[in-house]
Amino acid sequence: MQRLQSKNFLAGVSAMLIGLFVIAVTSDYGFGTPRRMGPGFFPMILGGLLTVIGLLITLGSGRDSARFPKVDIRAYVAITLAILAFAILVSRIGFGPAGIVTLLLAGAADRGSNALRLLLLAVTIVPAVWLLFSVGLGVQVPFVMWRF
Amino acid sequence: MDVWDSLQLGFTVAMTSQNLAYCLLGVSVGMVVGVLPGIGHLAAISLLMPLTFHVPATAALVMLAGIYYGAQYGGSIASILLNLPGTASSAVICLDGYPLTQQGRAGPALLITTIASFVGSMLSIIVLIFLAPPLAQLALSFHSADYFAMMVLGLVAAGSISQGKPLIGLASVVLGLLIGLVGIDVNSGAMRMTFGMPELFSGISIIVIAMALFGVVEVISSIGKMSGRKESKTTITMRGLLPTANEWRQTFWPMMRGSAVGTGVGILPGTGGGSMAAFLAYAVEKRSSKTPEKFGKGAIAGITGPEAANNAAAQSAFIPTLTLGIPGDAIMALMLGALMIHGIAPGPRVITESPELFWGLVVSFLIGNFMLLVLNIPLIQVWVKILQIPYRLLFPVIILLICIGVYSLNRSSVDVMLVAGFSAVGFLLLKAGFEAAPLLLGFILGPMLEENLRRSLMLSRGEFTVFIERPISATFLGLAALLLVWVIKGELKPKLASPATSGS
Repeated sequence: MQRLQSKNFLAGVSAMLIGLFVIAVTSDYGFGTPRRMGPGFFPMILGGLLTVIGLLITLGSGRDSARFPKVDIRAYVAITLAILAFAILVSRIGFGPAGIVTLLLAGAADRGSNALRLLLLAVTIVPAVWLLFSVGLGVQVPFVMWRF
Repeated sequence: MDVWDSLQLGFTVAMTSQNLAYCLLGVSVGMVVGVLPGIGHLAAISLLMPLTFHVPATAALVMLAGIYYGAQYGGSIASILLNLPGTASSAVICLDGYPLTQQGRAGPALLITTIASFVGSMLSIIVLIFLAPPLAQLALSFHSADYFAMMVLGLVAAGSISQGKPLIGLASVVLGLLIGLVGIDVNSGAMRMTFGMPELFSGISIIVIAMALFGVVEVISSIGKMSGRKESKTTITMRGLLPTANEWRQTFWPMMRGSAVGTGVGILPGTGGGSMAAFLAYAVEKRSSKTPEKFGKGAIAGITGPEAANNAAAQSAFIPTLTLGIPGDAIMALMLGALMIHGIAPGPRVITESPELFWGLVVSFLIGNFMLLVLNIPLIQVWVKILQIPYRLLFPVIILLICIGVYSLNRSSVDVMLVAGFSAVGFLLLKAGFEAAPLLLGFILGPMLEENLRRSLMLSRGEFTVFIERPISATFLGLAALLLVWVIKGELKPKLASPATSGS
């Protein structure tokens, strides 16, 4: 499938799908009349607009052969996991351990990273960042805790 | 209040030790991120936005603005020394800056770009000082229909005058508008697109969006590219900085022309952080030069014009943002976001109702540019050292700062998860050609656009003709329509390499 690798085709289809999704979600919000716009009025119009633009992009995509660029999957997955790990861990085990996990996971995104250097970075930077935010800015986040 | 009274007020505000400190912090951070490729000023501003919750609005804006124009100074350093643009707007500087380095003229090139940056900024700030108050006065007579039309024009411009395909740019704008609507509808109290999640009731924070689309996405896409970084072997001594008499002579007029181009382009909506101003100024210089064949081989005019232009644009971009409440690009959208976080409604009333904020900010631009002029040259060695920090040690720290920065907003894990989600989806969409800057612009303008549409239609009893009957609104919408026609015509033409992309 040549089509599925075309950048514009994918962009157009995504826009259409998001547009249709928005229309589906907002259709029961109450459209109202132009004089008294309901909560669904504006999002419905925008959803429709997005669908139409998406359709135009899709239809025109045959004339442009630009491929969807190669994605560094390792970086993509590692960085996303690093952020998710922080979100899940920070309110359970505290900033210190969560920060170290995040830093190590994020570091793993680069193939050439050295585990030892990353660990050194983690044990120096994580306390420094914690001090900056909790002492410097008064953000209440414990360094270590245990709550499950 | 006349200009001198206002400036006096501005000086008393900007010269407080707190504001001076935040200004210095802002421009220094700006310099650093400007120098470093792989961290944009957008990422830096969104990273530091959570910190500004703890300081007054003026100090917050002084710092954030400092990052922006500081980065314009810093960006040219990496361009000249390493042929790596630190920011998008300094990409043009590579064309003639790097050849100058190869010819051993890196020192003078750096000094001249610093001076050009300074002059460009200063001239633009003067325009800002004299143009902003009358413009705000004029804007006070605008009705909701005029505002609606003006925002439509801004959004159409932002979407269609983008680097990629105009239609996808417009789709990005609409997507941004939709994300901006998530949360409680202020008029009816209805929950919109919250999917039953209480964390979404008050909407999605601009910081979440900006961190995801500018911070995380930039990190993911830089990881592969930054590993093979070139090392700078250039050493620069203080004596080696001085340009020759001939180089000085080639500096003045390009600097003036660049400042004029930059100031003009910066005011227009959708022109994206000075890069368009820089490209335009380069084209102007090349055309008006007696020796156009020298361009690309180390022409002094090829660095001074664009450098003056991108700095001038960085300053004049504040004109529509502060007087009309309409941001011209993503950074200005972040500035507006910071204003709103501090409870200040953007619009023409900012100048009259919070004069100390407006004039304090404007005077801080003057002070900040002096700081940059002073900081830049003696510290060039330091900036060169910073360029050598390996990216693989830098990006994990950036990710950690993004996480804690977002978490510190509401101590909410859901906000951090939203960043992960928006960056994961956003990364793929951006790779397919969607654009982050128009999206953010749509995001910030979404609720305002809806509110002005609602108000105009209520006043006109549901008649859409109100948008054509008012001359101001009709003009804006007419311009937007012209732009759309022009863009779509370009789309339908048989495939041609666009001159903007084939030139680089």
